Amino acid sequence: MAKVIVQMTKYTTKTFSHTSREYLFNFSAPKVSLYLSRSIANSRSLNVERFYTEKHEWITVEGNIGIIGISNYAQEALGDVVYAQLPDVGSEIETECGALESVKAASELYSPVSGKVIEKNEEVEKTPSLINTSCYERGWLFKVELNKFDELKGLMNEKAYNEFLKSDPA
Amino acid sequence: MTGKIIIRMGFMIVVKRKPQYNNFYRASKYSTSSFNDKQNNPNDSITKSVFISQSTDVFTNLALEDWFYKNQDFTNHHVLVLWRNNPCIVIGRHQNPWIEHNTQLAEKRGIILVRRNSGGGTVYHDRGNLNLSFFTPRERYNRRYNLEIITRALYREWGVEAEVNKRDDIIVEEKYKISGTAAKLGRPNAYHHCTLLVNVNKTALNLSLEKKENGIETNATTSTRSPIKNLVDINSHIQMDKLITAIGWEYLRTKALVLEDGGQDLIQRQKGFQYINPTEDWFPGLDKLISEFRSWEWNYGKTPKFMVTRVVDVPTEDNKIHRFNLALEIQNGIIEEIKMKLPADLVSKDFNEDVSVITNLRGSRYNHEVMENIITAIGCKTVTLNTSQTVDKSNMIATQ
Repeated sequence: MAKVIVQMTKYTTKTFSHTSREYLFNFSAPKVSLYLSRSIANSRSLNVERFYTEKHEWITVEGNIGIIGISNYAQEALGDVVYAQLPDVGSEIETECGALESVKAASELYSPVSGKVIEKNEEVEKTPSLINTSCYERGWLFKVELNKFDELKGLMNEKAYNEFLKSDPA
Repeated sequence: MTGKIIIRMGFMIVVKRKPQYNNFYRASKYSTSSFNDKQNNPNDSITKSVFISQSTDVFTNLALEDWFYKNQDFTNHHVLVLWRNNPCIVIGRHQNPWIEHNTQLAEKRGIILVRRNSGGGTVYHDRGNLNLSFFTPRERYNRRYNLEIITRALYREWGVEAEVNKRDDIIVEEKYKISGTAAKLGRPNAYHHCTLLVNVNKTALNLSLEKKENGIETNATTSTRSPIKNLVDINSHIQMDKLITAIGWEYLRTKALVLEDGGQDLIQRQKGFQYINPTEDWFPGLDKLISEFRSWEWNYGKTPKFMVTRVVDVPTEDNKIHRFNLALEIQNGIIEEIKMKLPADLVSKDFNEDVSVITNLRGSRYNHEVMENIITAIGCKTVTLNTSQTVDKSNMIATQ
């Protein structure tokens, strides 16, 4: 997978170098990061375990990097997401860190862990409906550099979360 | 509840001093620890209050709402806050002010612009509009319930038949909107607020929500325009003070979680109506919230990233006219990038000086004059493209 990403990066960089003048004058999307993030999101979910909070956020952790999103239950409860306000890259977050807007309601976004935001999903900022159509894959929200691993202890694994949904999903 | 109690027009006005309000706040906070949903029927154990803000300043009222959201415990006490404002335009949390209202006209008429914390679209407020904020814990957030309280009050008092549509607007005569809704959901609290048009100045409303700025590209939340009507035009007996009383009583006499009439018995158990004075003394920390709502950083700086594009014609020395695109990229209300797409046959060195004029504007705050100033500085003319929409604007409102 890593190879593919490298190739993609090379390919897209090449494209840009040929059309650099065009790029300067147009507002083209930063395609490199877009492709990259998509590939990473896909590869990650195949083998890393997802943990959940009682507020219906999920997190996967690789090394000291956590990827955060909202669960299928949460996206269904929200309805069509029309705007995603994600935390800025470089900011230190604790709990409240952004908002998702759907059907005239702004729902505060909470992070299950604290730490520094190292990346946000710009694809989701452009197309917020990805949260509805692909909440565990392309609809991930942001990545955090963890500094308190203790925060992961209270989270539920998939099985426990499903049990939780049956009992008291409020 | 001690204090001076006056009975007038069916209102129970409790005039309280600061320490007493604080005591009440603490008491309601502590009592929640013994509350248990499973043992008591929440419909019986939840009490309700109707608070009426004495301020007509939109910044103060939005700060008051935010204060309740951040500080109050609604576990066994649901609250309805009623408030009115002097003329202002209130945009949704993720909206672009330059798209949603007529900036120049609003400034000229002294109509304030403010961003709120909830989602949805833009509305115009004046004293003829009643704002209702329903506070509950997030798990009991129920927009339908709240809107039905309003329609039931209108029917009980005046026989007005209003219905709630799919967008959670309250409409009359099948199409006229009288109320728009928005909400903020957090932890542990949530609120749903809505407008209710009683006798707003429709001319001011139409003029101030008229869009002027064009060529803006953004993924900010857009407003949906709907035909509107004032309640007073449906039934001339509906007046603001009577409406406040009618909705307040309907709220108090309805059970906390279901739309069931609890009648006089239930009203007796409620905390009733209270006029509240939103000041720092009564609500510690309020002044800070007010200044946040007043700030440029909140109202304009929180605008989702956007681009403004103009097509301009540049005359050159050989009497030729060249057409190019001028685009500004704005993030957090600040001009981040100024880009030009020049025709290939135009030698760029001819424009070196002009380009440097533009770059000086990088990092400055965007406003509706910036683009025109740049165009004037370059010495070119804006091309009027035939893109303006011909929409009948009478009775139209950009709404939540």
